[in-house]
Amino acid sequence: MVRRVLSLPSGRIAVGLLVLIALLAALGPVLAPQDPLATSDNTLASVSWSHWLGTDYLGRDTFSRLLDGSRVSVLASLEVALVALGVGAVPGILSVYLGRVFEWGTLRLADTLVALPFLLFAVAVTALLGNGLTQAMLVTGVLVSPLFYRVSRAATLAVARSQYVEAAIISGASVGWVVRRHVWAKVLPPIAIALAQTIGVGFIIVSSLTFLGIGVQPPAPTWGGLLASDLGYLDYQPWAPLAPAILIMLTVWASNLLADTIRDVSGEAGRAFVTHRRDVRSAHDASDQNATAHSGGAR
Amino acid sequence: MTAPVLQVSDLDVHYGLRRRRRQALQGVSLDVSAGETVGLIGETGSGKSTLARAVLGLVPSSGGRIVIDGEDVSGYRERQWRRLRRRGVVQYVFQDPLRSLDPDLTIEDSLVEPLLIQGVSRREAVARARTFLDRVHLSADLLPKVPGEISGGQRQRVAVARALVTEPRLIVLDEPVSALDSANRVQVLEILKELRGSGVALVFISHDLGSVAGIADRIAVLYQGELVEVGAAAAVINEPDHPYTRLLVSSAPTLRAASATRAEREELRALLSV
Repeated sequence: MVRRVLSLPSGRIAVGLLVLIALLAALGPVLAPQDPLATSDNTLASVSWSHWLGTDYLGRDTFSRLLDGSRVSVLASLEVALVALGVGAVPGILSVYLGRVFEWGTLRLADTLVALPFLLFAVAVTALLGNGLTQAMLVTGVLVSPLFYRVSRAATLAVARSQYVEAAIISGASVGWVVRRHVWAKVLPPIAIALAQTIGVGFIIVSSLTFLGIGVQPPAPTWGGLLASDLGYLDYQPWAPLAPAILIMLTVWASNLLADTIRDVSGEAGRAFVTHRRDVRSAHDASDQNATAHSGGAR
Repeated sequence: MTAPVLQVSDLDVHYGLRRRRRQALQGVSLDVSAGETVGLIGETGSGKSTLARAVLGLVPSSGGRIVIDGEDVSGYRERQWRRLRRRGVVQYVFQDPLRSLDPDLTIEDSLVEPLLIQGVSRREAVARARTFLDRVHLSADLLPKVPGEISGGQRQRVAVARALVTEPRLIVLDEPVSALDSANRVQVLEILKELRGSGVALVFISHDLGSVAGIADRIAVLYQGELVEVGAAAAVINEPDHPYTRLLVSSAPTLRAASATRAEREELRALLSV
């Protein structure tokens, strides 16, 4: 699957960007040239050599804050996606196999989660568990999980009654065998798509929660928080929201691009698509080589 | 005659609950001996596939007995079924070769699957898969391919090979040639005829008397969930007893006895609907 994704330019761009953002998250706080929390009386300064992206309303270096905030932002959205995957996809697959009671219970639970007002629930849980990014993202992950539950359940249902699964059962296969051997490969592409989309959504949620003061507490920087505070000083620095906005957009876009590419190359159609592209290219290369050989011979 | 591989006695199968309850099979009794080929004929909805699925434990029976290879399986629970199936005594070939092979697995993976489930090592499983691929006249070049890269006829032969790898005593074939064109149909039927010599019992399900006639030792006719006629193939075809069998025989253009006029067929239909 990885090789197929990387065989397309869109896949290479998406993976490249995401690797870059991961590196930023890993090294950002180390790379930050100045203390992201240190205030100065040089407030709302414009771009200069000492402040690459200017300073904010408390005179803090925006570039350093952006780098420092990348780790929290990326980890938080990853947490959302992984919690949603764990809480949603596993029961989604098992709901097809573990009998009616489990199926009914998880289905109603998923319905309930969908019906819950998201922000209210997040506020309530942070009041209960204490205000922190981990708690907030845990809640978000659980609330996004019905997507994974539905997607993996639908994909599993499509496979579960198929004849090749029945053939395996007739040969004495256990549920575990059927899931590993037949179901997993069919469920993975839609889950990967949902995962990539959720990472994108996670960014937006981290940003909106930060905007409301849930999760990350000031003065700790996040991309969303930067964007929110920059918006308050548009009169003085109309260009300031651009940098965090571009970073958020780029990450979300790369995640969605990856999701699209996974969808393009997965399944039988995807296999045919990739093979066709490879054949066309190798035919092209061969004709190129022939042409060079020919012109070389002519000379 | 050796001991029967499959004994079905007085089998009842119901679908649905309470008011939607519908009887799919009623008092069906059928024995299949080792090495014997039994053709199971009936129209759509007559209960052919239900009988096959009940024999494999995929549909629960509501009455009667099923004995497979000396083991009484009626009332078996899932765990007991799995143990029995793992021995590879019974195998099944589906009608539609497009859907009976996992599109994401290579032919090799599909062929060795029943053996891997039994716990055979991959290496030995592949060696055996090659032997059986040869039995269905396919070359080993197909092993690394996926089902999408081979023809329908080839796929059905792969499905037959997959059913053979566990060296079963009984194979149930559910309309194995209905989805194939006539050239492939003949080829698969030839392979099945070759199998008859190897001592495996075949239950060949079909709605088409023509494709069963040449291969079956005995023919059983299902009509509306009941077994209306069982007998030697020649006897059933040449001297059909039940009106439905007579209708079937007279409707098969390839059979010698197919000489009934339209009026006669209508007469038989009228007899059935009483």
